[in-house]
Amino acid sequence: MTYSPELLKGTLKTIVLKLLTDNKKMYGYEITQKVKELTRDKIQITEGALYPTLHALEADGLVTTEVEYIGKRVRKYYSLSPTGKTATREKLKELTNFMDTMIALLEIKPKMA
Amino acid sequence: MYQLNDQQIDLILADLHQRGIETESMRMNLLDHICILIENHLEEDGDFGQFYATTIRSFYKEELRELEDEARVLMALNKGHLLLSRNQFFLLLFVLLIGPFITYDLVWMFTTGPGWFIPAEIWVSTIVFALYPLLVLLVLFLTPDRFDPLIPHKAKILLGGRSMIKVMAMDTAQQ
Repeated sequence: MTYSPELLKGTLKTIVLKLLTDNKKMYGYEITQKVKELTRDKIQITEGALYPTLHALEADGLVTTEVEYIGKRVRKYYSLSPTGKTATREKLKELTNFMDTMIALLEIKPKMA
Repeated sequence: MYQLNDQQIDLILADLHQRGIETESMRMNLLDHICILIENHLEEDGDFGQFYATTIRSFYKEELRELEDEARVLMALNKGHLLLSRNQFFLLLFVLLIGPFITYDLVWMFTTGPGWFIPAEIWVSTIVFALYPLLVLLVLFLTPDRFDPLIPHKAKILLGGRSMIKVMAMDTAQQ
């Protein structure tokens, strides 16, 4: 089962920022694979969603980039800027709060481990 | 594992450019992503052209430039901007065009008192400078989609943000 795009749309920035927190620096393809691996294929980030998000994060100063030349290709690595680290904490807090609210709103009982 | 040569990389780059990816950074990201997909999934004796065509098609809904449009929208969200539908955009143009003339005529009426006489030159200037452009706008607004390459019916228009004005051909790319 994969989740609907509507569910994922508002969380993509947070997902990318959290991955960069945990993995220091990553490039686009690596991010898509990491998400697939961590979610056991339940979340598959499309290129059409990922790259615009990465560009927006860069424009907002939340991530910094460095490039690696591979023959005629250029690989762009993304890592968190100091502003990005603060933003990640805020976004995670907001998302956690949102999930708690949704659980309460929809009266969902969390599964016990 | 398939090994891409320089000629194929140039071909991909040129294709990305032709498909409307104007930002070099976005082009480089997509090139690297496509190259990895080809190298990881195409057999050594596989058909590069066919695999590339299938791969690139999976990146977008209608056109590849959706990615760049989406990036522009996301970048504009934190800046002062307006994202308008085609109808809203034309309504704004109509209001901007006719507004000053209506204001002028109203001011004229109120300041000249009873009689409401408006000199001929005001009528003429209103017709020439407002009604004629309004008619042009109306024609543009009513133009069928297939004849309107500038502002297609499903277009979104981004005002402000990082670009003064940007017409995006369709709804922006979604996850």
